[in-house]
Amino acid sequence: MNTHKSEKFHAKTETEGNVCTVYLIGELDLSVAPDFRLVMEPLVGDTGLDLVINLKDLKYIDSTGIGILLSILKARHGMDVKFTVTEVPGHIQKLFDMTGISKFFAPQENSH
Amino acid sequence: MSDDVQKVILQLPANAEYVDIVRLNLYGIASKMGFTYEDIEDMKVAVSEACNNSVLYAYGQEDGLVDVIFEVGPGALSITVKDEGESFDGLDTPDNRLTLHDKELNDVQVGGLGFYLMQALMDDVSVVSEAGKGTVVTLTKRLNFSEEKV
Repeated sequence: MNTHKSEKFHAKTETEGNVCTVYLIGELDLSVAPDFRLVMEPLVGDTGLDLVINLKDLKYIDSTGIGILLSILKARHGMDVKFTVTEVPGHIQKLFDMTGISKFFAPQENSH
Repeated sequence: MSDDVQKVILQLPANAEYVDIVRLNLYGIASKMGFTYEDIEDMKVAVSEACNNSVLYAYGQEDGLVDVIFEVGPGALSITVKDEGESFDGLDTPDNRLTLHDKELNDVQVGGLGFYLMQALMDDVSVVSEAGKGTVVTLTKRLNFSEEKV
């Protein structure tokens, strides 16, 4: 298990078989966006992994964070490999619905 | 409560590290005014997006300052985010083009969601941007007493 820490945000990575789950904890905003990108960089390109991002402990996300999720979606979609976002808290789901990113997180988009 | 508008003014470095300080102050002021949890969450996102714009676009690599003015009125909270850097362009784009609702994943551009979120989450948004004189964004949320009457 790898732990990447900064004061208000950290990402915890757990790998079980070929499923890699990244737990986002705290506040994902502009100031920690580079940390998040750094954590995700080696994982996004790994076609042997089923990549899951778990948001249950994410307290806050801004458009920068949503933008990073979108780039991951695009990259994984382009490689035709799995990417799922799970346990989205209500107030974050609201932002996903508002911006229109939710439809790309829908199960049918990721289940093939 | 008096009808006077009371002001709380914050001045911060235009640096991403300080945007959470704005959110903390907003939380304090908005909860004192009696806003609901959901309204406070909405305002946190909108105000942070306004600050992000100043941090990202106003001063380039140079140091600069962002003023955040909270105006506490009897029925509404207005938050003004002001910088004196480069003006913020791209405001002429119709809102619907900034969202992803009508797009396929391959056509999606990353970015441009911040301004849309401000408009979607607040009751009023005004942006005044003058070349060389910076940008002033004012965001207003009205208190809704319809459910809990004082």
